Amino acid sequence: MNKKIQRSLAVVSAAALVLGVSAVSSAMAAPKTVYLAFQAPLTGPNALTGQDELTGAKFALSEYNATNPSIKVELVLADDQGLAEVAAVVAPGIASNKKIIGLIGPAFSGATQASLPAYKAGGLALISMSATRVSLTDRKAAVNGFPIFKRVVANDQYQGPALARYATKGVTAPSVYLVDDKTAYGKGLADYTSPSLKGKIAGTDSVPENTSDYTSVVAKVKASGANVVIYCGYAPDAAKFVKALRDGGYKGIFASGDGTLKATFPNNAGNTAAEGARLTAADVPFEDVATAAQMVAYTKLTGIKIPGTYVTSTYNATNIFLTCIKQGKTSRAGIQNCITSGSFKGVAGDTIKFDRYGDIVGGAAVGAFTIKDGKITYVAVA
Amino acid sequence: MNLQVLSSQFWSLCLQGVALGFIYVLISLGYTMVYGVLRLINFANSEVFMVGTFATVVAQVGILQNQTNSQPLHGFRLLYTLAFSLGFSMLICGVLGVLVELVAYRRLRALGTNRLASLISAIAVSIVLLETTRIVTFSRPQTSPRLLDKWSFGEIAGANFRIDTVAVIVSGIVIFFALDRFVTKSRLGKAIRAVSMSEENSKLMGVNLNRVVSLTFFIGGLTTGAAAFFYTTVYETTQFNVGFNLGLAAFTAAVLGGIGNLRGAFYGGLFLGVLEQFASAILGSQWKSVTVFLVLVLVLLLKPNGIFGEAVQQTRT
Repeated sequence: MNKKIQRSLAVVSAAALVLGVSAVSSAMAAPKTVYLAFQAPLTGPNALTGQDELTGAKFALSEYNATNPSIKVELVLADDQGLAEVAAVVAPGIASNKKIIGLIGPAFSGATQASLPAYKAGGLALISMSATRVSLTDRKAAVNGFPIFKRVVANDQYQGPALARYATKGVTAPSVYLVDDKTAYGKGLADYTSPSLKGKIAGTDSVPENTSDYTSVVAKVKASGANVVIYCGYAPDAAKFVKALRDGGYKGIFASGDGTLKATFPNNAGNTAAEGARLTAADVPFEDVATAAQMVAYTKLTGIKIPGTYVTSTYNATNIFLTCIKQGKTSRAGIQNCITSGSFKGVAGDTIKFDRYGDIVGGAAVGAFTIKDGKITYVAVA
Repeated sequence: MNLQVLSSQFWSLCLQGVALGFIYVLISLGYTMVYGVLRLINFANSEVFMVGTFATVVAQVGILQNQTNSQPLHGFRLLYTLAFSLGFSMLICGVLGVLVELVAYRRLRALGTNRLASLISAIAVSIVLLETTRIVTFSRPQTSPRLLDKWSFGEIAGANFRIDTVAVIVSGIVIFFALDRFVTKSRLGKAIRAVSMSEENSKLMGVNLNRVVSLTFFIGGLTTGAAAFFYTTVYETTQFNVGFNLGLAAFTAAVLGGIGNLRGAFYGGLFLGVLEQFASAILGSQWKSVTVFLVLVLVLLLKPNGIFGEAVQQTRT
């Protein structure tokens, strides 16, 4: 029932978008205006992610428009709620609107996969800021995004090695205990982490999500003599696990991936258990890479002092489109060629160039974080 | 297979298994008491447990105003806080048990409907409790403050006798034997056993059936509430779906030991706790459930009434 309503609403809003946009464009003909779509969850339980990302796109656009360009750019918002079934309905509407020449997003992997058929048929170039599923750019996957899909975020194939690197950094003779939570995400990340730990793995375990008693895992960690524990799973379980480890007398390093990079992790782990934990995420905080002037402008535009997650990658994705538009590319094919062959600059001064299947050559940056005084603190690029 | 863990951690796994087992024992008493009297599984018991864990947090954070990041308490204040939250959780769960019986069982029983009808209504109540909690808590896990400083009595053969581990074991034993004594010796306990043996005959003997059934649900709620308190004290966190895994484990323990019989729940719970620890340690946590349910099937194939099912046929609760 609820799903049905959502779906029909999505159809209506997509239709409104198409009609609305064409009405606007016919009204003003002289100064050329092109449209970029932005697809992310803007309502629903995952709305925060999409709304945070949207600020990055809006900010990039405001910087572009401030230069008085000859080609005006406007955003068209497409709300897929982060759900594959909603995305499948929204995507054809966007794809059929020929005024839209590129798409920032989609934000979620499942929604991306469901949107691909429509965008492939329409030849619309996508640059995702947060879809990390490996198969989207995997040459051998049954459904990949070739040739239209690109992403400026590190997939788990890159996060895994970065996590291994950061977890064992500065440890003499690291001996790692690798634990996952049996979910598609946790197991996947663990599988991409373990090859980088060759010869250093003291043991592994797969503890189902929502387990409450971690004492047997703690016993194994202690028996193995490991000095680094890497947990691939989500924040609530990571909090229980790190607490059990510390209570059980484990003194070594605790490390985890982006599933744990949430305020719930230090909050639930209590006063001291999470302190010093090493976390990675395929995101670098915008305030750490933007200039001070940019931050002032960003806060003025959005009213937000501390940007949320994936603002950096959304800003970069939007700027790639804007760079191409500045070069006079205003058709879908032109944008597609420009993105595929061009070389771009990220906000941190990094070079962005895409490989054949859509990932950044050399891998996008993975951020390293730690817990200091109960707060998540950015350290460096892992 | 990881056998090296046994060399240094054998006794530690035993101790932790027994502590976990006592939490299972306390929850499975809730299942087994009701089954003994009504011959029905109270599927809402797992959610009664879940509500108990939240009641403990509410008592400690909401009523007694401890902050989630507050320092451990000491002396009288600590005892008072623990006793109050234990009592609060038990009371809430006991009352909730009685309500569950009123809503899901009593009327259907009076109408003499099919047993399956009350089974479904119990599941309905459990879903209502689960979803309501999920909505109220925004699906977020809630933490309880570390009020009990987790100091250790010392280590023996690698087993760390931490205060919370010891407290769970000692209290589990005390609660179990108090209940066992109540059921076998007291007047009300005898009434419960009489109803368990024959509903019709006990009615003829002047036993107030509805009162006995309510009492049974209340007692089942009390032990489940105690389990919820100890769970929250040991693991310091709870979530709306915490009842599912724990409830399933406790139900399994009750069936393993022979459902409807207090001692069965006792040994079943302890056996399951220890089995889970060793299965996760030796085979890996991913094999824990597989091992537990394989053992359950094997036990039921050999002894269909559970390990203690037949021997205690006559002394059912």
